Amino acid sequence: MAALFRLYNVTKRYRSREVLNIRKMEVNKGRIYTILGPNGAGKTTLLRVMSLLTVNDSGRIEVFGEEVSWNKSQLVRLRRHMAMVTQTSFMFKGSVYYNVAYGLKVRKRPEPEQRKIVKECLELMGMSDFADYPAQKLSGGERQKVAIARALAVKPAVLFLDEPTSSLEPNSAMDIEHYIKFINSQYNTTVIMVTHNLFQARRLAEEIFFLWDGKIIEHGSCEDLFTRARDERTRAFLQGNF
Amino acid sequence: MAVFYQGIKEGLLLIMSLDRELIQITLLSLQVSFSALIIAAILGIPLGSVLALKRIPGRKIFLNIIYTLMGLPPVLAGLIVFLFLSNRGPLGQLQLLFTPAAMVIAQVCLALPIVCGLTARAVMAQPQEVYDTAAMLGATRRQAAWTIIKESSLGIVAALTTALGRLMAEVGAVMMVGGNIAGKTRVLTTSIVLETRMGNDSRAIAIGMILLLIAFLTMLIILKLEKRTFKDGGTIQVI
Repeated sequence: MAALFRLYNVTKRYRSREVLNIRKMEVNKGRIYTILGPNGAGKTTLLRVMSLLTVNDSGRIEVFGEEVSWNKSQLVRLRRHMAMVTQTSFMFKGSVYYNVAYGLKVRKRPEPEQRKIVKECLELMGMSDFADYPAQKLSGGERQKVAIARALAVKPAVLFLDEPTSSLEPNSAMDIEHYIKFINSQYNTTVIMVTHNLFQARRLAEEIFFLWDGKIIEHGSCEDLFTRARDERTRAFLQGNF
Repeated sequence: MAVFYQGIKEGLLLIMSLDRELIQITLLSLQVSFSALIIAAILGIPLGSVLALKRIPGRKIFLNIIYTLMGLPPVLAGLIVFLFLSNRGPLGQLQLLFTPAAMVIAQVCLALPIVCGLTARAVMAQPQEVYDTAAMLGATRRQAAWTIIKESSLGIVAALTTALGRLMAEVGAVMMVGGNIAGKTRVLTTSIVLETRMGNDSRAIAIGMILLLIAFLTMLIILKLEKRTFKDGGTIQVI
């Protein structure tokens, strides 16, 4: 199976504190990964390094088989195969349509194509009636749906999710989970998700990376980790004894 | 109080009579202030944005200088431009002193730091998420920067409004480099000074009324534009 991401000895420090130290990590195409760990374990930093938003201090990162050199054109080219949805996704000023079309506009896609794709994505997320609605006035659940539609519009190979449902009520969270699964199965999009929600991780993830103090202390299939975790800290975390 | 009532009465009459001299003074005021504002906007918005977004050497010092110049006394700006444009100055051969062009230059000196400094602040106030979102949707650095500037437009309009307010009310610099020459460089503010000195208090009040009216209309237009631009957001409902 082709690895989309390979990280070797990747470290990141904020001032004197080391927040990330990944000896080896591989992410394969078409799977759903969850990054689990307690607060301050470095989950978001890891996601930002993988999405090329934060520069690592040392180590080697390969994305789509290409070593990341952090030059401007490479960053744009690689990022154009990725998309991200965060906890409280930022919406640009303007309509929902403008937000969903943004990724297509910056890629200079023709207007008719933009209209078609935006319409499809909004329909898929059940947000067709909101196209002209001011994006910054959406509710939390609607905002997340638009954020997913916006990500979907650019047909990413990888979708990063940083606690995408943590600010939502259970029904909206279930909706979002449904769309995540749908995108993964329908478009073979690799999903890399940070979550605090163990139940959600169990429902969605195929593989889990367990992060502790910036290090991956355990990695395996969802089932293995939840039933046969090797590390004591992972077991304690998964049993809620933390 | 009688002088105020007399001034308001005379002012209304003067406005209604469409006094030729007054129209000419008003038009010149508008021409000078808006020319200065446009030039300051063309130079100040990109400069402020670059200072906010690019990690260039000496950026902090440059920003501190600009913030200091935001409080530049108009008379001092006028004096500097006067020295540059006077016959003995480095730009003396251009023969611009006591012309509307000199007044525009002096007003640009006053407006530029305001537009540049407040634009920089508006751009710097944007959260990191704006860049992250744009970048993760595939924007190049330039496209992401343009998006951040667009997101800062409320602050940039505020910068332009503040600068225009200063220019319309400014008297020291235009007096110094314009000379308040009737029919040539006399504007509303310098007229008020002149009429007051000549004891024509009610005429001074009348001109002041026109100045206020222009300021009110200009702000009304800007606020309308602002509302149109920011109808999708930018309003905080406090209940």
